[in-house]
Amino acid sequence: MNKIMYLEFERCIGCRACQAACRECGDHDAKERNYVDYIDFTESRQTFPMICMQCKDPACARVCPANAIQITEEGVVLSAMEEKCIGCRNCTFGCPFGIPKFDFEKNKMYKCDMCYDRTREGISPMCASVCPSDAIRFIDFDEMQELRRRRVQMNLIEGKKPMEGNKWEYVPEFFGVYSDS
Amino acid sequence: MERLERSFYSKTSMYSFFVILGLLLSMMVATDRFIHMDMALIGYAIASIIFAIGLTIRMSFWFYRTATNRVAKRSLKNLFTKERLIRNVRSIAITFVDNILLQKFIFKRGLYRGIQHLMISWGCLISFAITFGLTFGWMRFDLIDSETYQIVVFNIPTLKMAAHGVFAEIVYNGLNLGAIMVLIGVSMALARRLTNYDVKVTQRFEFDMLPLFILLAVTGTGLILTVLYTFFDGWMHHYMSLIHQVTVVIMLIYFPFGKLFHVPIRPLAAAVPMNYQEVAKIDSRNCKSCGEAYSNDDQIADVQAILGAQEFDLKLNDGTLLSDYCPRCRRRMRALKVMNMEAPQGDPYGPVNTNNGIHLPGFGQKRSESFYVSTEKKQAKEENNEPVSR
Repeated sequence: MNKIMYLEFERCIGCRACQAACRECGDHDAKERNYVDYIDFTESRQTFPMICMQCKDPACARVCPANAIQITEEGVVLSAMEEKCIGCRNCTFGCPFGIPKFDFEKNKMYKCDMCYDRTREGISPMCASVCPSDAIRFIDFDEMQELRRRRVQMNLIEGKKPMEGNKWEYVPEFFGVYSDS
Repeated sequence: MERLERSFYSKTSMYSFFVILGLLLSMMVATDRFIHMDMALIGYAIASIIFAIGLTIRMSFWFYRTATNRVAKRSLKNLFTKERLIRNVRSIAITFVDNILLQKFIFKRGLYRGIQHLMISWGCLISFAITFGLTFGWMRFDLIDSETYQIVVFNIPTLKMAAHGVFAEIVYNGLNLGAIMVLIGVSMALARRLTNYDVKVTQRFEFDMLPLFILLAVTGTGLILTVLYTFFDGWMHHYMSLIHQVTVVIMLIYFPFGKLFHVPIRPLAAAVPMNYQEVAKIDSRNCKSCGEAYSNDDQIADVQAILGAQEFDLKLNDGTLLSDYCPRCRRRMRALKVMNMEAPQGDPYGPVNTNNGIHLPGFGQKRSESFYVSTEKKQAKEENNEPVSR
């Protein structure tokens, strides 16, 4: 089993089903741990989903004075251990991606743990399993490589942007159709 | 100081040495030069000394961590700043009462968990106080006459009490009381750990269950001792006391290296209202991009110093650090970077242009002429004006 989370921000339609699903996950205590944000509300209605990167060398764990953030053997960065966390929120400000959330009432930090009880068994996380537009996917590593290659072909990664004259070269074959996968 | 350090194997061993020295000195003073040592408790005393060494080692290593060190240093500095006196006293008092005495935050996680934790923690604290007091000889009972006991603390006679008074009974049964509290708490915790699916997600046997079983063994054997000498005339008492001693030694040696180590690190929670956010949810530092308050200067300075000390400063092209931005802006920056839609050229703090150049005909208004410059021209423009990551 070598599955990864694959996000495609452009596909997000802002339905927030992932957040609703996150609240239902075991051990999440009816609070969502992922984000759906607007890129710039005054410009467009484009949203994007955001979950934890599960860094190999997490900045949140490095700034934690209580040594409360642990990484499992599968590489999942867990929420701060409740008995150790002193509630200083250094992790929230240390994280380069702004992921950890803090519960002031219960005095504990909580963050995306990739639905550890599900992914540990190879089941897709809650958010990926409900996303209607495939903005969040839980797929094989090889499948991810294939998708990335296609994005490079579309030149969305390397930096060139479609212009008025050549925009049709960038339109994906699967534009608006999700039947090819 | 450095020469003293160099005469030891390591700093940690130096600290351990002085801790043991202090303990032995306190024992000597308290027992009037070891005259009143309770030889029946010598096994506990040795185990307690090992416990002290283990605790010192773990505490030293914990304070050696960059993050802990930084927070602890700032706390110490603020503690001795006169202008902060009121704030210090208030935050330490509030943390002590709310977090350690009453453990309010655990009750907010659930009444069941609150009761369970209060029982275990206070049972353990009572038992530890009595055990250490007696084994190190810090506290002992002297018979004055046939009807009166006197409590002697550090060789100073203090309270007198009737040998069969109510107060005396409470003092004698302190350990039993603590054991019953721990027994209730541990049973509740075990029941929760075995049945609750939410807890099972991240629970590990050696970390979460083992300390419960050890505590259960200690309290169980201890309570059986009481039962044996009150109802069975001390039948099997000797063997049972040996078993109890073994369990206690295991617990003391396990303490600094397992889950129970969260007890000595808890007081650092006072550092949060003392150094960082005095009142919950009130921020004073503004985000560099959107201008909204998200934290306070001291905390961001600490976070940047900790990350910087570990060569992990997360610096951007324009010299700002990622921790200068609020979490929301950081998420946006990551998404924009991935989507190749970084900040507009020239002004890294201006509004983001979410239009990526594709516009379907028939939907938008006619664009300005500048949009239709030829591709080559635009590329040349891009090269000498690289977009700034913000």
